[in-house]
Amino acid sequence: MKVLVTVKEVAEVEDDFEIADLDVDPRYLEYDLNEWDEYAVESAVQLAEAADEEVEVVSVTIGPERSEETIRMALAKGVDRAVRVWDDDIEAAEFLDVASKVRLLEAVVAEEDPDIVLSGVQAHDTGFGATGVALADAIGFEWGAVVNALDIEGVLNDGVARVHRELEGGIEELTEIDLPAVLTIQTGINEPRYASLRGIRQAQSKEIAPKTLSDLGLDFSAVESELFLTDMYEPETESDATYFEGDAGEQAAALASALREKGVGAE
Amino acid sequence: MLDYLGLEADLTQEERMIRDEARRFVEEEVKPDIGEHFENGTFPMDLVPKMGELGFYAPTIDGYGLPGVGDRAYGILMQELEAGDSGLRSMASVQGALVMYPIYAFGSEEQKERWLPDLGTGDAVGCFGLTEPEHGSNPSGMQTRAERDDDGFVLNGSKTWITNSPIADVAVVWGRDTSADDSPVRGFLVETDRDGVTTNKIDDKLSMRASVTGEIGLDDVWVPEENVLPGVEGMKGPLSCLTQARFGISWGVVGAARDAFEAALDYAKDRDQFGGPIARFQIQQDKLAEMATQITNGQLMAYRLAELKSRDELRHQHVSMAKRHNVRMAREVSRTAREILGGNGITTDYSPMRHLANMETVYTYEGTHDIHTLVIGADLTGIPAFE
Ligand SMILES: Cc1cc2nc3c(=O)[nH]c(=O)nc-3n(C[C@H](O)[C@H](O)[C@H](O)COP(=O)(O)OP(=O)(O)OC[C@H]3O[C@@H](n4cnc5c(N)ncnc54)[C@H](O)[C@@H]3O)c2cc1C
Repeated sequence: MKVLVTVKEVAEVEDDFEIADLDVDPRYLEYDLNEWDEYAVESAVQLAEAADEEVEVVSVTIGPERSEETIRMALAKGVDRAVRVWDDDIEAAEFLDVASKVRLLEAVVAEEDPDIVLSGVQAHDTGFGATGVALADAIGFEWGAVVNALDIEGVLNDGVARVHRELEGGIEELTEIDLPAVLTIQTGINEPRYASLRGIRQAQSKEIAPKTLSDLGLDFSAVESELFLTDMYEPETESDATYFEGDAGEQAAALASALREKGVGAE
Repeated sequence: MLDYLGLEADLTQEERMIRDEARRFVEEEVKPDIGEHFENGTFPMDLVPKMGELGFYAPTIDGYGLPGVGDRAYGILMQELEAGDSGLRSMASVQGALVMYPIYAFGSEEQKERWLPDLGTGDAVGCFGLTEPEHGSNPSGMQTRAERDDDGFVLNGSKTWITNSPIADVAVVWGRDTSADDSPVRGFLVETDRDGVTTNKIDDKLSMRASVTGEIGLDDVWVPEENVLPGVEGMKGPLSCLTQARFGISWGVVGAARDAFEAALDYAKDRDQFGGPIARFQIQQDKLAEMATQITNGQLMAYRLAELKSRDELRHQHVSMAKRHNVRMAREVSRTAREILGGNGITTDYSPMRHLANMETVYTYEGTHDIHTLVIGADLTGIPAFE
């Protein structure tokens, strides 16, 4: 059995930042593994650990060389090997929309032929929340979105993903999805482990295979996006909050008169 | 996070990953309730197996299920743990450098098989008994005696100030073998459930409160011959362990100082007085600049120590210098950080005063500041002042 986990290095913006053109100035960015993907990795590793037969866990990412350190953390937590898709054409692409990413991931799925694909519900930075489901559609897999519980035995023994999904208003839905399938994993489904020192050591010699568009039988047209960013800005914040200065007594008095002005309370 | 001269940029990817995971572990598992543990005088016992699972005990050993990382990676780990609390680093130091290391370096194959895997996972806890009520800085004066009988030894004596003795399964006890010529110091592995062993807890500490400390009483305790560490005789046994542990301390306290500094820096930028943040005052900036410089100095020493250790050129006097310098640095930095926090600085809500209180122990254990001064003095002059 083979599990493919899609992982992404996401940008985290510092508290104070500036926008340069159509993006946050990279000086104010730090990079980390997408939070949702941590849970997807943990689910995949738990599948492998629970299995009697060999289960290979492969992670795939679309990202520059910088992302290898982040990807290696997934390897340290039990992923067996990784595929990293990147080249100059992808680098030059102004904006990778969901369709572009799906074209690349679809080609990786064709090469790897996984039984189950796990992705995060969404990426923390771009937040489309569509890659996993769009990929399922493209490769003709069943899918389950926003999965917050997964029955491991069912996946391993019956070829069925029995998943809980969280619906509006705290309702839980139980669905059975035949494999092969794509599941988008919600945070909280498990408790992602820390990488142990042993795992970190072993990860240093695990493979992160670089793939270019041509390695995947694609060309630059695969990353021609139909979606363009037109602007990025910080909205003006309109705040009606008033801070009353002074000690508790003065603050209370100011609050009382403000409330009275608004017509709150009896005269 | 303060790394003013960018030393961490030179770390390998493996070392950076260890730093990041250890930092995350401390952030998520330690910091939320360490202040409460300090106040209650308890060690977070649930972390004992967790730290074991992550490979935090004696990680430089290769084999016996241990990861075998390099010296600098080990240093980085100690730095991150002590940024949480010195009690946490003490746990790792004692278990790793003072218990697992001597078993690994001086133990028989059976002793290694018996103890290293269990100590590595935290399924067993160890302690190191050297200090005695009447012999602290001068441990070679120890009174603990081992008398040979038919197939083992009978131990008598008392040890005090022993980190983790009340929670330990096994104690590495150093005592004099009075049946041999010149009564050499030998190391004994004493299971704490043996008849005649008591491990009373020491309460009322005002420092290192999030760490368990106790005594070891040995009243006609019999241990079999195979519990003696076969590979070492004399003071170099305990002293070589201490060199390992002090290496970790030299790194660890940089973490404690950094944590106190970060708390003070955040606070100074946040706290408004006289119409703006206190960080705009030159006096506060002077304190911050001085702290950052001193921490960076300590960091440089720690990095150099790791370099020398991995080249096998590290002398114990080098470690004395770094331990002495870095602990004093961390003590001063945490006190200055406390000042910047004003009244809030004296509570357990903030880390500086907890670090400051802990530094009083770290200043004293593993060779007091004064004793390391004399070690360096003896090395420089060729005249030992303490013999
Ligand atoms: C919380 C805690 C945990 C500890 N954990 C352990 C442990 O796990 N295992 C263990 O074996 N020990 C442990 N210790 C003991 C520690 O190592 C000793 O406290 C330390 O060696 C100092 O010994 P002492 O307290 O007897 O002080 P003393 O040796 O009596 O020293 C008192 C003062 O005299 C000074 N002094 C002594 N000799 C000289 C000299 N020749 N010249 C100048 N000044 C001198 C010292 O610097 C010090 O200021 C721990 C201590 C503490 C506080």
